[in-house]
Amino acid sequence: MNRRILLTTALAMGAALLAPAAQAEWKPTRPIELVVHSGPGGGNDVMGRALVAAIDEAKLSPVRIQVSNKVGGGGATAASYLNEKKGDPHVIGIFTSVWLTNPLVQQEANVSMRELTPISLMVLEPALFVVRADSPYKSMTELMDAAKANPGKMKQSGGSPLARDALVRTVLQAKTGGRWAFISFPSGGERISALLGGHVDMMVIEPQEAGELIRSGKIRALAQVTDARLPEFKDTPTLKEAGFDVPNPPQPRGILGPPGMAPDVLAYYVDLIARANKSPGWQKFLRDGILEEKLLGPKETAEFLAKTETELRGILTDSGVKLVR
Amino acid sequence: MPTNLLWCLVGCFLGTVVGILPGLGPAATIAMLLPMTYSMSPASGIIMLTGIYYGAKYGGSTTSILLNMPGESSSVVTCIDGYQMARKGRAGAALGIAAIASFIAGSFGIVALSLIAPPIAAFALSFSSPEYFALMALGLALVVLLAGDSLVKGLIALLVGLWLTSIGTDLFTSQSRFTFGQTSLLSGLDFMVVAIGVFAITEVLSSISDQEETQVLPVPKGFRNLLPSWEELKACRFAFANGSIVGFIIGVLPGAGASIASFISYGIERAFSRHPEKFGTGLPEGVAAPEGANNADTGGALIPLLTLGIPGGGTTAILLSALVLWGVKPGPLMMTESPDVFWGLVASLYIGNVMLLILNLPMVPLFAQILRIPVYILHPVIFGVSVIGAYSVSGRLFDVLMLAGFGALGFAMSRLKFPVAPLVLGFVLGDAMERALRQSLMMSQGDLSILISRPISAGMLIFAVAVLFLPLLPRFRRLKEAAG
Amino acid sequence: MTKSIFRDGDIIAGALTAALGTYITVTASRWDVMGPEGPGPGFFPVGYGIALIILSLILIFQRFTAARHTEENRPFDWAGFRRAAITWVAFTASTALMQTLGFYISFGLLTLFLGLFVFEKPLKSALIAGVLSAAGFYIVFDMALGVALPVGLLGF
Repeated sequence: MNRRILLTTALAMGAALLAPAAQAEWKPTRPIELVVHSGPGGGNDVMGRALVAAIDEAKLSPVRIQVSNKVGGGGATAASYLNEKKGDPHVIGIFTSVWLTNPLVQQEANVSMRELTPISLMVLEPALFVVRADSPYKSMTELMDAAKANPGKMKQSGGSPLARDALVRTVLQAKTGGRWAFISFPSGGERISALLGGHVDMMVIEPQEAGELIRSGKIRALAQVTDARLPEFKDTPTLKEAGFDVPNPPQPRGILGPPGMAPDVLAYYVDLIARANKSPGWQKFLRDGILEEKLLGPKETAEFLAKTETELRGILTDSGVKLVR
Repeated sequence: MPTNLLWCLVGCFLGTVVGILPGLGPAATIAMLLPMTYSMSPASGIIMLTGIYYGAKYGGSTTSILLNMPGESSSVVTCIDGYQMARKGRAGAALGIAAIASFIAGSFGIVALSLIAPPIAAFALSFSSPEYFALMALGLALVVLLAGDSLVKGLIALLVGLWLTSIGTDLFTSQSRFTFGQTSLLSGLDFMVVAIGVFAITEVLSSISDQEETQVLPVPKGFRNLLPSWEELKACRFAFANGSIVGFIIGVLPGAGASIASFISYGIERAFSRHPEKFGTGLPEGVAAPEGANNADTGGALIPLLTLGIPGGGTTAILLSALVLWGVKPGPLMMTESPDVFWGLVASLYIGNVMLLILNLPMVPLFAQILRIPVYILHPVIFGVSVIGAYSVSGRLFDVLMLAGFGALGFAMSRLKFPVAPLVLGFVLGDAMERALRQSLMMSQGDLSILISRPISAGMLIFAVAVLFLPLLPRFRRLKEAAG
Repeated sequence: MTKSIFRDGDIIAGALTAALGTYITVTASRWDVMGPEGPGPGFFPVGYGIALIILSLILIFQRFTAARHTEENRPFDWAGFRRAAITWVAFTASTALMQTLGFYISFGLLTLFLGLFVFEKPLKSALIAGVLSAAGFYIVFDMALGVALPVGLLGF
C-alpha cells in the first residue's frame, strides 16, 4: 500500500517535471461533502456547520459544502465511509481523538487514521476539572487528598472509558495513587445533572458547557486540563500549576481526507482550511466555544497524531482497557 | 412581534410536515435550518425552531394512525391503538383525539414551564440512576399488561427486544456486543428502523397476505365520523391528565426521551383502566395518553435547557447550540439576562400550541382521505416512505436492509401470534434500564440497597410491584368469593 | 389427524427462541459478567439469555399439553403467505438495487412489480402507478425537501 503511494507520487512528480506548463491548480467542481461522525447537534456536527458557515461568509469556496452525518461506532462508520471514498476529491471529514482510540479498542473499527490523509489539525479542546459550588473541596490538592484517603468512594461522571475525561482520571490516579469510581453517562446533560444533583463528586467538562454554570455559581473549576491558562479562566490553575504534572490528554479536532489524496487536491484543502481558520466567522466560533486554535499542516498533523496515538496507547493500557491492535 | 408570529407559524407548519414523514426528524431539520437563522434575531430564530420541535409531535401521529407507520420515535405507541381505531373506521376520531390530547398536554407543559420551572428543575436533579432504574422497571412491569393473551409470548418478545437493544458497544467497557464483526452494528440498531420495520412493513405484508379489499381501511364518511364523539372524549379524561403529567415529568429528566414517556403513560393508562384487556383493539384513551405524553414531554424537556443550560436529548441539544450561536447563554442566568428571548419563547409556545391545534384539526378529514388510495399504489408508497425514513437515519443502505429484516421479523411474529409491542418496549427501555442499574451499583459500590434506600426510587419500585400484581386481583377476589 | 400449523408454529418459534437464548448466554458468558465495579457487559445478556431459554421451554411445553385437548384443523394460508413472501423478496431486492439504480428507479420498478404480480393489476395500471409514484417521490423528496437518497449510477 505504501509502495503504491510512493510510486504514484513519484510518477506524479515525474509527470510534473515533464510538463511544468500543465501544472494547474485543482479546484472543486462539485459540492464538497464534509463528513462528521456525530448526529445533528453533536460536537462535530456543530463544528462542521460553523466551519461551513465561516467559509460561506468569507466566500472562500466556489462550491457548496455540505455537512454529511455518518453516525455510528464512535467514528468507525465515518472512517469507513471516508476510506471507501478513495480517489474522490470532493469528500473530506472532521476527525477527533476517537478516530485514534477506536481502532485500538474495537475489532470492527478497522480503518485507522494512518490509512486516511490528514489535511490539517484545527483546534484543541481544553477541559476543566469541576466540582459543585458547595463542595467542601476548594482546590485540586484537597480533592485528590480526599480521593486518596477514601479509595473507591468518590465518584466522577463521564463518558465512555475511552473518552478524554476517563483518560484524565487514569493519569491522575496513576500520579496520586488515589482511586475513585468513574460512572459513564451517554450524554453531557446527564453527566452535568449527576454532578449538580450531588450524585457524583467531580467531572471533567468542556469549558463551553461549563461557562454558564460557573458564572452563575453552580459549579466551581478546580483546574484546567490545558498546557496554558485559557484567557477566559485566568484564575484557574492548570493541572500542572496545581501541582499535578501529568500529560494532558488532548482532544484534537481537524480535517482529513480519503486515502491517497492527490497532492494538488491536498494543497487546495490545506489552503482553504488555513484561510477559513483566519476568517472572522471561525475566530468567533473559537472564542464562543472556548477552543484553542492550533493549525498544523498535513505533515505536522500526521506527526502529532502519531505521537498522540502512542500516548493514548499508554494511558489506555494503564486504564486496564484491552487493546486489540 | 408580528414577524415572530409568522416565524412561529412557519416553524409549526414545518414541524408538522417533518413529523408526518418518518425518518426526517425535528433534530435533523433544525440542524439543516440553523444557517438560515443566522440573520434572524435570536428570539425569532428560537421561536421558529421550537415551533418545529413542537409541531413534529403533532404530526407524528398522523401516519401512525392511518398507516401503522410511526412518523416520529415518540409516536410509535400511538400506532398500537390508533391504527386499530382506523381499522374500525374511526380514523378521523383518532386523529382528532391525538390533536386534542396534544393540545391539552402541551398546554399543561407550557404552563408548568412558565410557572414552576426552577423548582421542577431542582426536583429533576434529585433524580439519578437509581430513580431512572426504578422508572424503567416500572415501564417493564407494565409490559405484563401489554402482553395480551399469552404472557409467555409477551415475555419472550420483551426479551428479544432487550437483546436487540444491547447490540452495539457497551458504554462502560467499550466491549462490542453481538455485532457479528460488523462496523455498521457498532452503535447498535436504530429505534426508528426497528419500529418502522416491525409496524409499517409488517402491516403491509400482513395486509397483502390476508388480501383485504381494494381499500386498506374503511374510510370514515360523514362529518360525525371524522371527529371524535363526546363519549370518546369523555373516556379520555384520565388519559389527558395522565399524558400531561407523566409526559412532563419524564420530559424534565435528561436522558429519558419522549418515547419512554409515551410508553409509560400508555402503560399507566392501561393499569388504571376499567377495561385493560381492550387496549390494543382501538381505544381512544390508548391514543390520548401517549400523544399527550409526547407533547407534554417537550415542555418538560425545555426546562433543564432554559434554567440550567442542560440539554435533555437530541433536539434540545441542537436548540442549545442554536442559542449559543446567537450569543444567548442558556443557563441559570438566562431568565434574568435574556428575558426577551426566554419569555418570547414561552409566549410563542402558547401561541404555537394553539396554532398547531388549528392547523391539525381541520386537516383531519383531509388526512383521512389517504385511506381512499388504492392499495396497489398506497402499499408501495408506504414501502418507499419507510425506506426514506430508514435511510435518512444515518445515510446507510445497511439501515434499509435492517428495515427489511425487521419487516420479516414482525410478519413472522404476527403470524405466530407473538405481540409486537413488548418487543418495542424492551428495545426502548432495555438499554436505559441496564445502564441505570450498572450506574447505580457503581455509585453504591455494589450495594443493591441504594435502590430502596432512596424514597423516589423505592416508591416507583413498589408501584412496579403493585402493577405486576394488579391483574391477579380479580382472580384473588374470585377465589375469595368461591371460598367464602 | 392433521396438526395445525398454529401449534407447530409455536413449537418452531419456541425452538428458535431457545436457540437464540442459548447463543446469547454462551456468547455473553465469555465477556465480563461481574466486574470489580459491578455487573459487566455480560451480566444482563446472560440473564435474559437464560430467561429466554426457560420461557421458550415453557412455551413448547404449553403447546404439547394443549395438544392433548384441542385438535385445531386450520389449513395454512399458503396463497397468502406466498404473496407476502414475494412482496418481501421484491422489497429487499429493490433496496439492494438502490446501490446501482438509485432510489427512484428502484422504487418505480418495485411498484410496477408489485402491481403486476401481487396486486394483479393490468400492465397499464401498474406501469402508470410506478411512473407516477416515482415521479411524485422525486418531486417531494428531492426537489422540495432535498433529502439525500441513494444515488445510483445514473446520477439520481
